[in-house]
Amino acid sequence: MKISSLLPRLLATAALFVSIPSCSEKLDSSAACPVLCPAIGGDVQNLTLDAVVLDTTVQAFSGLGAEPGLLLAARGDTLDTRVIIRLDSLPTTFVPAGDTARPISSVDSAYLQLRIDTLSIKGASSVTIEAYDVDTTANDTSTAAIVALFRPDRFISAQTFVRADLKDTLKYYISNSAVLGKIQNNARLRIGLRATGPGSSQLKINSAEAGLTPVLSFRATPDTATKPLTVLPRSKTPIGDAIAASHLTDYTVIAKAPAAAPPGTLAVGGLPTHRVYLRFDIPSSIIDSATVVRATLLLNQSPNDAIDPTDTVQLLPQVVLAGKVVTDPAKAAQIVGAISIDTLKLTPGGAGLTNVELAGAFALWRAQKPDTLPRAITLRSVSEGNSPLEIRFFSSEDVAALRPRLRISYTSRVPLGLP
Amino acid sequence: MRKLYLAAIAFCTVGFAVRGQAQGGLSLQGLGYPTGQLSARAEATGGGAADFDALSLVNPASIAGVGSAALYFQYSPEFRRVTTASGTAKTTTARFPLAVGVLPMGQAWTLGLSSSTFLDRSLETSLSRTQIVGDSATDTVTVTERNRILGAINDVRLALAWSRTPEFRIGVGAHVFTGSNRILFSQLFPDSAKFISTSQSGRISYAGFAGSLGIEYHPSRAIGFAFSGRKGGDLRAQSGDTAIGSARLPDHYSASVTYEGITGASISARVAHDGWSSLASLSSSGIQAFDGWDTGVGVEASGPRILQRIITMRAGARFRTLPFGLNGQKVSETSFAAGFGLPLTRERAALDFALQRASRSAGSDIKERGFILSFGLRVSP
Repeated sequence: MKISSLLPRLLATAALFVSIPSCSEKLDSSAACPVLCPAIGGDVQNLTLDAVVLDTTVQAFSGLGAEPGLLLAARGDTLDTRVIIRLDSLPTTFVPAGDTARPISSVDSAYLQLRIDTLSIKGASSVTIEAYDVDTTANDTSTAAIVALFRPDRFISAQTFVRADLKDTLKYYISNSAVLGKIQNNARLRIGLRATGPGSSQLKINSAEAGLTPVLSFRATPDTATKPLTVLPRSKTPIGDAIAASHLTDYTVIAKAPAAAPPGTLAVGGLPTHRVYLRFDIPSSIIDSATVVRATLLLNQSPNDAIDPTDTVQLLPQVVLAGKVVTDPAKAAQIVGAISIDTLKLTPGGAGLTNVELAGAFALWRAQKPDTLPRAITLRSVSEGNSPLEIRFFSSEDVAALRPRLRISYTSRVPLGLP
Repeated sequence: MRKLYLAAIAFCTVGFAVRGQAQGGLSLQGLGYPTGQLSARAEATGGGAADFDALSLVNPASIAGVGSAALYFQYSPEFRRVTTASGTAKTTTARFPLAVGVLPMGQAWTLGLSSSTFLDRSLETSLSRTQIVGDSATDTVTVTERNRILGAINDVRLALAWSRTPEFRIGVGAHVFTGSNRILFSQLFPDSAKFISTSQSGRISYAGFAGSLGIEYHPSRAIGFAFSGRKGGDLRAQSGDTAIGSARLPDHYSASVTYEGITGASISARVAHDGWSSLASLSSSGIQAFDGWDTGVGVEASGPRILQRIITMRAGARFRTLPFGLNGQKVSETSFAAGFGLPLTRERAALDFALQRASRSAGSDIKERGFILSFGLRVSP
């Protein structure tokens, strides 16, 4: 091939190789900053507002038994909680190995399989868990009525565990005759658990809401070739309300709780568990006209030494999604959305200023009008319903220095356009 | 509550921050970089041949010399390197600065429609700085400001030229200046749980008019002269439906001479003046625009014959003042160029290539170097 015919092809190929990579732009000249590109945005300004127009403490759950854990506690004069497990539907027949179904005439090795949150256990001494028959024709969701059934004539069984016995999965054996009696009478088996012992004790049992429901297991025949029967909790009451009945398959009854927070105090967590609902009045000009880069709710904590004052409680702020048609804060506090996965770690006995970051809420509020999305948040405990720990804050009814306030950090909008 | 609203009022009267110029390069100050509106051929001769070049958008009279109907398209990526005391930035800007259509009509008249990039404002910068966000002086965070601007002001020209003889050509042009800048400004914070990263976007549209006149005169076969001028009208800038500024488009005048007394070679020189300062009012932060001279000289000569085609070799040098200064100093650009022209497919198409090495400075430690490659393809349908 002559050089004269090769050269144009070489030139064309070279041009192609040079031009192809240059098709993709790379405009970033940041390395020349800051000499050639000084800061554009202005300094951040801070503004602290008394923007809270409503702050109140509301119930955390919409109904009894909605909590994801069952708290079994015996903390002396401070706290006494019981656990109720409803087994309203017991089998009456079983199928022996290699045989046909026949009525249950005996019960052996009956036990409840409980899933324990071992990190929640308090108390180093042994704990005795007593079981009572808490079935009643009275109001079966009345705390007083249920607690009254923890009496000797309702006693089913008891089992003592040392601390080392309390593993993730706990077999709690109950009276075989009690189970058989319920089966043969075609009656409901509703078991109430109470903790007793030489010292105070507390543990959390996972509930049906957590997906780890307690299970009753027993043998209907001594023949080990026949599989044991397992019964999942079920509540047949209240009739016509499947959701409430589902919650009531297992739940916690508070026989004695720490003293409630004083009126006018904002309380998060505790038993019965609470959330704090706060609604703000933020002038739309602030959200619309400036560039808010940080928003912080400033709360002053009030010490609560009632129980475990040095234990850590994780609080989570959430944005209220309920529209303005939901005027009841207690109901609005149930319709919430996450704004952060970061939790606020406080101790009940702590005091002083606490910052609650609301960056996520402001990002939503900037995109939605107040009519659609009220400027409201809730504060809830991550372990709500499972822990007696309660964090308290001063409310807007307190003196000015202690009231909740909102600090907004912002920069002025940069006029984009001409250089 | 009254306090709350007073605070809000105070909040809203803080006003806008004064926007600095975050351009990231000497050539990107103000409204952007003037590409020159030259074809690859004219660029390779340092701009010396621009007033005689039918494919450059300088002299409307020159289109009369196009010969046959032509379509021309040019691609010109620039590889830029900016060196400052804080570091060196390397960028690549892809430009399509010129598209031309020229149509001879009869013996004397020629019509041309062309579009070229007048001021290219494509840039991106990112700056991190420490900021106090909160009540405590120790409550600091590193915020990253990202600024991205894309777009340009373009010059669309409809030109009509007349020429009875090769000795004299005259042409007029009507220019519409149009285009837009899309701007995206973000402030990015590292912790989304605490801080709200923000983003603003905007768009500026430009519209303006100008008229141009040019002549070419060749008293002999060895020498030729060309003169052209463009008178600028108003250039308006709008954001949405709101007018945000206006200025006069810069007047432009140029004079060129070409010498073809050496067989197979052509030497040309050009001097032009641009009244860029008229654009200074099109600014929100007081940009400084300077009138400037643009001078260039170049040579074009027949090169080797390849595949029975004569390759034209070109070289040139150019010095000019860029429109927008830095810290009160003019930004000057010196460039050296070389290139070639390659006829293709029986003279019905041609490829022009130019390589420019441009050095820009503003009397400071900041240096900018750019390699601009230009590929121009001319097709005669």
